[in-house]
Amino acid sequence: MGRFSRAAVLLSALLALHMTADAAANVWSGLVMATNAPQPTPLPAELDKIEDTLKDTFGYNQFQIIGQAQKTLKTGEEDWLASSKYFSLHVDAKGETGAGYLLNLQLFKERELLLETEAKLSKRSPLVIKGPQVGAGQLLLVLVVQ
Amino acid sequence: MKTFEEKWTAWIDGQLEGKELAEFEASLPDKEAAEAEKQDALKLRTLLKTQLAARPMSNAEFFNHQLRQAIAGDERAAAPSTRTSTRASWWSIGRLVWAGAGSLAIFALCTFFVIRNDTKPDQSQYLSQILNARVDPAVSPNATISMFESKEDKVTVLWVDGLQSLPAEYAAK
Repeated sequence: MGRFSRAAVLLSALLALHMTADAAANVWSGLVMATNAPQPTPLPAELDKIEDTLKDTFGYNQFQIIGQAQKTLKTGEEDWLASSKYFSLHVDAKGETGAGYLLNLQLFKERELLLETEAKLSKRSPLVIKGPQVGAGQLLLVLVVQ
Repeated sequence: MKTFEEKWTAWIDGQLEGKELAEFEASLPDKEAAEAEKQDALKLRTLLKTQLAARPMSNAEFFNHQLRQAIAGDERAAAPSTRTSTRASWWSIGRLVWAGAGSLAIFALCTFFVIRNDTKPDQSQYLSQILNARVDPAVSPNATISMFESKEDKVTVLWVDGLQSLPAEYAAK
């Protein structure tokens, strides 16, 4: 193989690597129960980056993950389910946009659709959805591109 | 047998001798006119030798130097130098084509990345956006939906009020 052929192959590999690295992304989706507790449990690592917003916006001091799913998006058109015992969040990716992914989100209580929304999930900006009141707490849906 | 003209030239040059000289001079119709013509020819010869002699070079060394330089220049031009031939062989047609293709590929790659970067959205579009949201009015008739952005964590919040409250057991994992 000639010197120029090797250079062409290397160039193509770099381009492919760049595009692959740019295209593949992990999306973490979680069902989070926010409550107030005298001795709150430590914040799950997945929520570290949005701790201030969670505490300031919703007014709770404890956040526990009751269901979660992590999906690697390759085509940007995958779908998946994050479930707890009674709730499930169906995420249907509709494609990649310039800054993130277009998602259709459906929150079910068992088989009953409670909420449906379409959102552009940015790679740099988490999404939090306030769900129904559950006991003394609040159900939150969180989506983060990792 | 010499012609008259040959004998005439030889006579003027003083190359006729003896019997041949006597015979030629006897053949001349007017010897005095011939002698006068001979003297004129000799004068003309002397004048030409004086005037047309090569001029002495006042700067002969400089002339020789110029001449050697010109000859050396001609020799250099005639003989192809090693460096030129090496360069000519390195830039063969094939390599020129490859170099051109490589340059085009690099240009296309750079253009691709520049365009990709240019088409990325501005800072405000880096935040997640809610395009639409809905609840089942039969299940939650009083539900209201709003949205806002928390700039500090760059979090987008969809705020839904009025959903049906559920007992604590629904918080189970």
